[in-house]
Amino acid sequence: MSEMSTSSGWSYQAGSWFAVFGPQVTVLLPESERERVIRVWATVDEGGGFDQVLDGLLATGLSSLPGFVLLGAEGGPTRVLLRGADVTVVLATGDGEVALDGSASATWVEQSVDGVTGVRIEVGADSSDDVHFPITTGLVRVGRVDRPAVASGAAGVVEPETAEEVEAAVGETPPVFEAQAEPVGAAGPVAEAEPSDDAAVALPGTDVVGADAPIPVVTPSAEPAPMDVPAADLPADVPADDAPADDVPADDAPAADPGLDLQPTEQMPPVSPDTSLAASELELPPPLGADPLTDPMPPQEPAPSNWVTPWDPPAETAAPPVPEDAPAPEAAPVEEPAVEEPAPEASVPDAPAADEPPAPAYPPPPVDGPSTPPPLGIGSWEPVGGFPPPPPAPDTDHDGLTVGGADHGQVPPPPGIPGQPPAPPVTQPVANLMISDGQNVVVDRVILIGRAPEARRFSSTEQPLLVSVPSRLHEISATHVEVRPGTGADHGSAVVTDMGSTNGTVLVQPGLGPEDLKPGIAVQLIPGAIINLGDGITIQVTRP
Amino acid sequence: MIPVELHPGAATDVGLVREVNEDAYLVAPPVFVVADGMGGHDHGDVASRIVVEEFGKLAEQGYDAARGAEAVAATLVAAQLRIAEYDAEHGDPSERPTSSSGSTVVAALLVEQEDGPRWLLANVGDSRIYRFTDGVLDQVSVDHSIVQELIDAGRISPSAAAEHPERHVITRALGGTASGEADYFLLPLVSAERLLLCSDGVSGMIDDAEIARILGEHEDPRDAADQLVGAAVAAGGRDNATAVVVDVVGLGDDTPYDSDAQRVSLEQKLGALP
Repeated sequence: MSEMSTSSGWSYQAGSWFAVFGPQVTVLLPESERERVIRVWATVDEGGGFDQVLDGLLATGLSSLPGFVLLGAEGGPTRVLLRGADVTVVLATGDGEVALDGSASATWVEQSVDGVTGVRIEVGADSSDDVHFPITTGLVRVGRVDRPAVASGAAGVVEPETAEEVEAAVGETPPVFEAQAEPVGAAGPVAEAEPSDDAAVALPGTDVVGADAPIPVVTPSAEPAPMDVPAADLPADVPADDAPADDVPADDAPAADPGLDLQPTEQMPPVSPDTSLAASELELPPPLGADPLTDPMPPQEPAPSNWVTPWDPPAETAAPPVPEDAPAPEAAPVEEPAVEEPAPEASVPDAPAADEPPAPAYPPPPVDGPSTPPPLGIGSWEPVGGFPPPPPAPDTDHDGLTVGGADHGQVPPPPGIPGQPPAPPVTQPVANLMISDGQNVVVDRVILIGRAPEARRFSSTEQPLLVSVPSRLHEISATHVEVRPGTGADHGSAVVTDMGSTNGTVLVQPGLGPEDLKPGIAVQLIPGAIINLGDGITIQVTRP
Repeated sequence: MIPVELHPGAATDVGLVREVNEDAYLVAPPVFVVADGMGGHDHGDVASRIVVEEFGKLAEQGYDAARGAEAVAATLVAAQLRIAEYDAEHGDPSERPTSSSGSTVVAALLVEQEDGPRWLLANVGDSRIYRFTDGVLDQVSVDHSIVQELIDAGRISPSAAAEHPERHVITRALGGTASGEADYFLLPLVSAERLLLCSDGVSGMIDDAEIARILGEHEDPRDAADQLVGAAVAAGGRDNATAVVVDVVGLGDDTPYDSDAQRVSLEQKLGALP
């Protein structure tokens, strides 16, 4: 059993917070930080290190982040950062426990601890469920997480016959029961004999799935946990058989780190080969990794369905992996030798994946438990079910990333000057501009005048005319003023607008004093008006 | 027309993730195009190729340089029709309407106005046109994307856009049901010594500072294009990456020395000169 254990075995209890379990670090973020979770998830899941994840976490500033927990070891001492009320981290070491409270500092609490043998993180006001679900990597909703994984009554229990099947398949009878025996003791080192743990073991998980089954991208691999849950009627019996043999007093637990580390982890795999497969495969690149088409961008794909195509019905992409039905628990996964699971994946050709949404072609194994599933793990979508979820919308796929948003979003803002009606296309001449450098321009469309004028974001019918004027002293801006046929009340005459020029524009209308144009405000031009751009350039407005 | 020399360079790479390069580009002076195909049963490469072919016809047949925007608009309409035809022939009618293939396009071509040639630029989608003048990089085109709309509306900052989950959702495209209407831009040549047309596989993988650095370090447009695409691939290559770099040489603004220097460097690179 020990050989199957991994040091990254976690267990969690459902709650409102998000937890991202990655190969290197673990991040917990509050419910309100969903966007941030999505961003961080990519980094964490790709194996991002502590500092890298921290950078991503704080990219938009600390003040906007009400709370978080970041924990990682990376071969050295265990580092933990935490912030926020209702955030506590307890690190168990051979010398005792180190308890940290996120509200102890206005910024954050940081601690590095050597020789950590167990971790318990509690977030949010309440930890609603008593059931511990094992997890290796992935994204889940949590109220509490433990490492090594705590066996809850639910997670640790297997129906006898199923267990035997598993054992037959795995060939490891003793570990199964041993593992089941451990949970009670195993909970100790982490939670230090906290009563609630025992309660968790004793109480079958009934309400596993919080109403908030979080993000709808899930794959079959997330389901082993649920299916174990209901079968929580054995803990009392099974442990009784083996407990004497292997029982570890809670007090000794910290010292017994290796064993404890292994056992809790171990107890997950025997329960369901599927689970163990999931756990082990999650550590590895999925078998499909070599296929760029079906496995293009792991961080992006498992995002919520609205990641790429918000207008798509989420059901099309997200729903299939979450079977609603509840067939005989465990039968399906157990009877299928775990070894065979990867086979379909490996044989998945590119073509089908590209030609049709793969989900229907590869229905997830109907292994769901009798009750609704527990909070689902995003990170666990990859291998177990034998097929990664399709890109959210393969048919609008744009190099795998960009998608067209035909019916999405508002009409883009009209080009031109904000707050003004769009410039009309070419019209009858409404005025004539005599520029002091000798140019003569008819105002029958948008005219842009300046040292090196540019026209931006116009439509094909507008046909703006760019008129360059000399400016030796550079007093005239590149695009200084716009003159165009007026609309509405100004219909039939020309209007002039300063385009935000550096040195401004002076307008002298017949019978009026000089007027400084305000940038972006159009002024109707009367024949005889003179526009002064500076640098000796004036424009006289005449009738067409 | 003032004689203007255009020195182009172009590069494209499928990237590290995609199997098919759905980008396409056209270098047919004075017409330059980058198109980024999307969608429908990996027919995105067909859509972008259609766009490039249509612009190729435009370059071949010539166009009324005084009415460039109209010529480009007609080209875009032709491309859109062909993409729709292709979809009708090859698409699966049972698919949703959004399944049709499509393409972005950025195009740059010289047009004539009364006092000389100008760049006419056109943009549909989220491929981009930058200009690089006096060491300063300036994004000319404005993306037709959700995040750009959010930025315009002041709801997110430009820096947040790079991480926005909907950053790949575009609001206009050729083909499909999206609007294919282009935005046009007119620039004096002197204000755009060097133009960069690129797909979002470049602009999405390396930031503007990096683009500016590469454009500044490589005098030869071909090197610059190669290096841009290389950097985008090195940065992860999550998407097809295509860059077309066009230098304007021989303007009155240029000193003869500069023009000569650039020409010589090209010829030296070709081995025509020692």
